[in-house]
Amino acid sequence: MDGFGVTVAFWILAAVTLVAGGGVMVSRNLLHAVLFLILSFIGVAGFFVLLSAEFIAMAQVIIYVGAITVLILFAVLLTPRASRDNSETVWALPGMLLAVCLAAIFLFVVHDTQWKTVTDAPLLTTQDLGHALLGTWVLPFEIASVLLTAALVGAIMLTRSAEEEAEDALA
Amino acid sequence: MTGVIKSEPFVINIGPQHPSTHGVFRIRATVDGEKVVDAEMVMGYLHRSMEKLAEERTYTQNIPFTDRTDYLSSMSNNLGYCLAAEKLAGIEVPARGDAIRVIMAELQRLASHCMAVGAFANDTGAWQTPVMWCFREREKILDIFEVTSGARLTCNYMRIGGVAFDLRPAFEPMVRKVLADLPPFIEEMEQLLTGNEIFVSRTRGIGVLSPELATNASLSGPMLRGSGIAWDLRKADPYCGYEQYDFDIPIGYQGDSYDRFIVRLEEMRQSVKIIQQALDGLPSGPFRTEVPLALRPQKGEAYARIESPRGELGYYLVSDEGPAPYRFHIRPPSFINLSALKEMTVGGTVADAIVVLGSIDIVVGEIDR
Amino acid sequence: MTTFLATDNWYDLRDLANLSREILEAADKILPFGVVYVLAAVIGFVASFLIFVLPSQLFVGVYGERKLIGRIQSRYGPNRVGPFGLLQPIADAIKLMQKEALTPTRSDRLVMYVAPIFFVAPAVLLFAVIPFGPNMVFADIPVSLMYFLAISSLPVLANFMAGWSANNKYSLFGAIRIVAMTISYETPLVMSLLGAVVISSTLSLQGMVLWADEYKIWLGLVQPLALVIYFICVSAELNRTPTDIAEAESEIVAGYLTEYSGMKWGLFYGMDIGYALAASAFAATVFLGGWTLFGLEKWVPPWIIFIGKTHLFYALFIWTRGTLPRLRSDQLMAFAWKFLLPLALFNLFIVVTERMIWSEEGYDKAYIYLFAIFNILVSGLLVFAWARFNGYRPDDVPTRPRLVKEARGYVPLGENE
Repeated sequence: MDGFGVTVAFWILAAVTLVAGGGVMVSRNLLHAVLFLILSFIGVAGFFVLLSAEFIAMAQVIIYVGAITVLILFAVLLTPRASRDNSETVWALPGMLLAVCLAAIFLFVVHDTQWKTVTDAPLLTTQDLGHALLGTWVLPFEIASVLLTAALVGAIMLTRSAEEEAEDALA
Repeated sequence: MTGVIKSEPFVINIGPQHPSTHGVFRIRATVDGEKVVDAEMVMGYLHRSMEKLAEERTYTQNIPFTDRTDYLSSMSNNLGYCLAAEKLAGIEVPARGDAIRVIMAELQRLASHCMAVGAFANDTGAWQTPVMWCFREREKILDIFEVTSGARLTCNYMRIGGVAFDLRPAFEPMVRKVLADLPPFIEEMEQLLTGNEIFVSRTRGIGVLSPELATNASLSGPMLRGSGIAWDLRKADPYCGYEQYDFDIPIGYQGDSYDRFIVRLEEMRQSVKIIQQALDGLPSGPFRTEVPLALRPQKGEAYARIESPRGELGYYLVSDEGPAPYRFHIRPPSFINLSALKEMTVGGTVADAIVVLGSIDIVVGEIDR
Repeated sequence: MTTFLATDNWYDLRDLANLSREILEAADKILPFGVVYVLAAVIGFVASFLIFVLPSQLFVGVYGERKLIGRIQSRYGPNRVGPFGLLQPIADAIKLMQKEALTPTRSDRLVMYVAPIFFVAPAVLLFAVIPFGPNMVFADIPVSLMYFLAISSLPVLANFMAGWSANNKYSLFGAIRIVAMTISYETPLVMSLLGAVVISSTLSLQGMVLWADEYKIWLGLVQPLALVIYFICVSAELNRTPTDIAEAESEIVAGYLTEYSGMKWGLFYGMDIGYALAASAFAATVFLGGWTLFGLEKWVPPWIIFIGKTHLFYALFIWTRGTLPRLRSDQLMAFAWKFLLPLALFNLFIVVTERMIWSEEGYDKAYIYLFAIFNILVSGLLVFAWARFNGYRPDDVPTRPRLVKEARGYVPLGENE
């Protein structure tokens, strides 16, 4: 089962992810692009499942699909005109150039790397992940959370209008 | 900070087909996000040209029309019109007729306030439960109307000079039953709603109507009393012998939707009190003065006003000695109460606008006539 | 799972897994390699969704809700179609199928078609990890709690698609509201569940049930605050009164469903119930001990216990729906961020401390009962204190208007009557 089922799943997921990724670029409607993005995120989550990293797969769905794309949708909705128009920009050509360069680098890396197959990898459980995050790597973890909190506060400060400041001063 | 995120205001039509406009009424609200920045009332969807039609019919024939203006309080409308016609023609009503009229008008107030309170709770989102409970109580009152006048909604019971029929034997026990049932029901509603934090936070401070605005916009009824103004035509300009009954005028604190709601509930208690007194001291004797069918009042004009469940309901009649009124005009309380809607809704959210509209307690039939 | 006494004969209905195992083993002998895995998925779907969810939807979600709300509202509820009106949900479904599914001209047709499908699919997936019995869990993955949270965060996208594609202002209102609300309520929801995870030290739903079985106490008693927060958050995410602002009928007609009709609407409606059932099943599993009932599961089939608990929890949704008015959207957001989230954090802090104490004491069973009593008291206190701190003053709200004897114009506030 392992070989065949996983292979089929891999190819299906790969096709879904790539087609969805292409859809993000091609679709004229910004909302459709976001919906394609969701699909590609779900495909990536599927890859994590294939790699037996269920926790990361679930985190991928919760964070990327459940939260980030919803925020993007929100931004799309609240931006005037953007929801209806994903028109071309003057950056199309430089963007394409950059994409080609990136693709070249990636292809080179993929081609150049010595891909090793690990026969009996240690099965990483969620407990191990937790121990690693809050044990070995607790300092980077905490720094990251402090950074995120700072970003949160900063975002709130940036979006506050003068009126709200005045309201708060009164309250 | 220059980069403030601003959303474009857009126009949203609340109505004419909308679950919370209590009929075919429309608010053209300009909203900025959820905030209402402008509200324009559009009415006339239910215009039936009643005032003009009435000029073609005799004074008695006009009584059924009045049923159909404010269809939730037909008795009160009958009463207002009959008072105006009696004033025009100089007809005296016997004491029993007056007492029956008072009982009917107060029962109608109970029924109408049941509806108002329930629909208001529905507007705040209490999913049908308060309105169903209110309907349950209202049904009992409508049953009384059915026994007395033969109709439940458009009773057509009052006549110029009195009432159409005398009371049936079944009437008194039915009324006593309603009077016994209602105070516990009002308590129940208070437990369900006034003690409910969600309801309070939805209605307190929403649609605040200052006493100045309330008087300047010539509002009346629970809207006016909610703003802390003690004004009730039953006290200020008594008719039908209201001066002999002992009751209080409930007034609110700050004029918000919540105050209007508790004022209505308290008015129901006061109505129960009035009906009790009227029923206990119900005089015997004739219930109607005989009036010629084709009444031709002398030339002149008359304006009679009563405290309908929604406020000051006035009927203005002009006679040219013909069998039909030369001019027939209604002062509809809903219509005039509605004029303060813009002041109350602008600045709030769409959800608040619905609550405010519910707290006004409009009947579109009366607004458009 | 060894403590469970069910035999493994296929006719032992205490554990329906026996039956499905027999079928699969028999099928494996005749069918080519691999097909049996597909068959297992089909059996799982049929068992959990067609046998449990669909009838529950129809007879608890539609009929039960209408009947119960009818009784709350002092009326009969459905009583015309079939005995006691029991066929009402089927009549409803037939009616919906006959209706035309309109699509407005200027709508985004494709998205509008896809949205109901996208809404239904996660509802089916959710039941894959719910343990109906000791062996009756379709996918016993170690992170099933995370899985449940991940999948249950998907339907909001379908709601958004539905609201946006209809090209209707009311729908757009509903879409914005539901997205904002879901983002807000996801946070306290996860925080509250974290408390349950910390105390039971497992992310697996089956593991939580076994934990409850081992310590003979429901997690809801150890984590009462988490249970309450979960209930409120989930009723917000499910769009049920008092938090149904995205479908607020009296305000924005039907929110994101305004332009939907026919069976497309019916899918949304039916799956709303499906999600509510899933949430109830989840709550029954995490907080109410799942299929265990203090030893009774050895005699009564555990799946019946589980279904009973689920439906009881679902009745809570019906009850609140029939009783409470709706909050305004900004009040709802404020409630999530200012009230539920701090409380969930307090709760997490308490439970982590307890967990540390517990591990110091070598996981003594007596401690868990102590914690339960402590937590029940503390959460009551916390809710009250935090509400007062946030300015909750019920005594300041007058319940009766002032009374005056005569009509004399404006009566200033201070004037006593």
